[in-house]
Amino acid sequence: MANLKELRNRITSIGNTMKITSAMKMVSAAKLKKAQDAIQSMRPYSEKLTEILQNVSSSLSPDENVYAQQREVKKVLLVLVTSNRGLCGGFNSNITKAAASRIKELKGVDVEIMTIGKKANDMFAKTGRVIKTETEIWNDLTFENTDAIAEELMSGFADKKWDRIEVLYNQFKNAALQIVQNEQYLPIVIPAQEEGKSTGDYIYEPSKAEIIRDLIPVSLRTQLFKSLIDSQASEHGARMTAMHKATDNASELKDELSLEYNKARQAAITNEILEIVGGANAL
Amino acid sequence: MYLEIITPEISLFKGEVSSVTFPGAAGSFQVLKDHAPVISMLTAGRIKMRLADDTRTIDPASGRVVLDTSDDHAYFVEIKHGVVEMTNNNLIVLVD
Repeated sequence: MANLKELRNRITSIGNTMKITSAMKMVSAAKLKKAQDAIQSMRPYSEKLTEILQNVSSSLSPDENVYAQQREVKKVLLVLVTSNRGLCGGFNSNITKAAASRIKELKGVDVEIMTIGKKANDMFAKTGRVIKTETEIWNDLTFENTDAIAEELMSGFADKKWDRIEVLYNQFKNAALQIVQNEQYLPIVIPAQEEGKSTGDYIYEPSKAEIIRDLIPVSLRTQLFKSLIDSQASEHGARMTAMHKATDNASELKDELSLEYNKARQAAITNEILEIVGGANAL
Repeated sequence: MYLEIITPEISLFKGEVSSVTFPGAAGSFQVLKDHAPVISMLTAGRIKMRLADDTRTIDPASGRVVLDTSDDHAYFVEIKHGVVEMTNNNLIVLVD
């Protein structure tokens, strides 16, 4: 019976797909663990840095520091952080959707896009807004490698190529939950100091103003790195969840088909017996 | 006093030290116990620390913390840039 063979083929093919999706889930789970560790070990550094920055931020004068200048916004750069690979649920489309609506919001303003990861570029390449695509970074995500990108953003802002830079990325909450964040990257925003927390009586070497001038680029690099490792963890989390769901779906489908297959087989056997009995009766 | 040297990626060194020498922006300087609270920028150079005892953890994966050959209680870390904060005998160094 052709139907039986068809069913058998479909069951095998679903079984194969299941193997792939469950393997991908495992791989993502392992990578997620590593990415989460990176976030963990990043935390003490960025917390301390923010604390020191807050400490010295009182001497920050927006006119003097090029990265703190508030200019009239005519040109905006959106940095879209996505992945190079798909099969991770809404991970990439959430970013591109948020970016599209942000572009609509920024009517009358010249918007350019820099994409980190292939997927956003695939989406926006046709709009002609993409000025640069960075994909290599995901092969080896280190603080040093993000430097080049941060440097480009900072010098672009300093040279007045853009008046405002925003970074859109997926913030990692847990394996099943990522939150799309739109962070203003430049001009720099220094988080306000908590009320009642004393700044302490420090000796500043060389001086508050010089420390802040030196620390702002460090802080910007750290901020970008943080967005990237967050996005990386989110990607693996999203892929893990997506693959888990795919595996579940496949096994459900496989069960249904197996039932159908067995029913068809049973029907075929019954038919055969009926034929034999019918034949015997005729004799 | 307690010293911690951290990068954005890993923690290089944690432990009790008796003295630390930093490559400060305005010249090299040494910090001893009960030093006044200070925040200072560091330039490229090496941080030298003398251990108070053996209670320390060094991340060996980094390979950046090296033993001073002339003094078996001292270690070096090469840095490009950094900032140090000292409060209540707690030293935190952010480097990259």
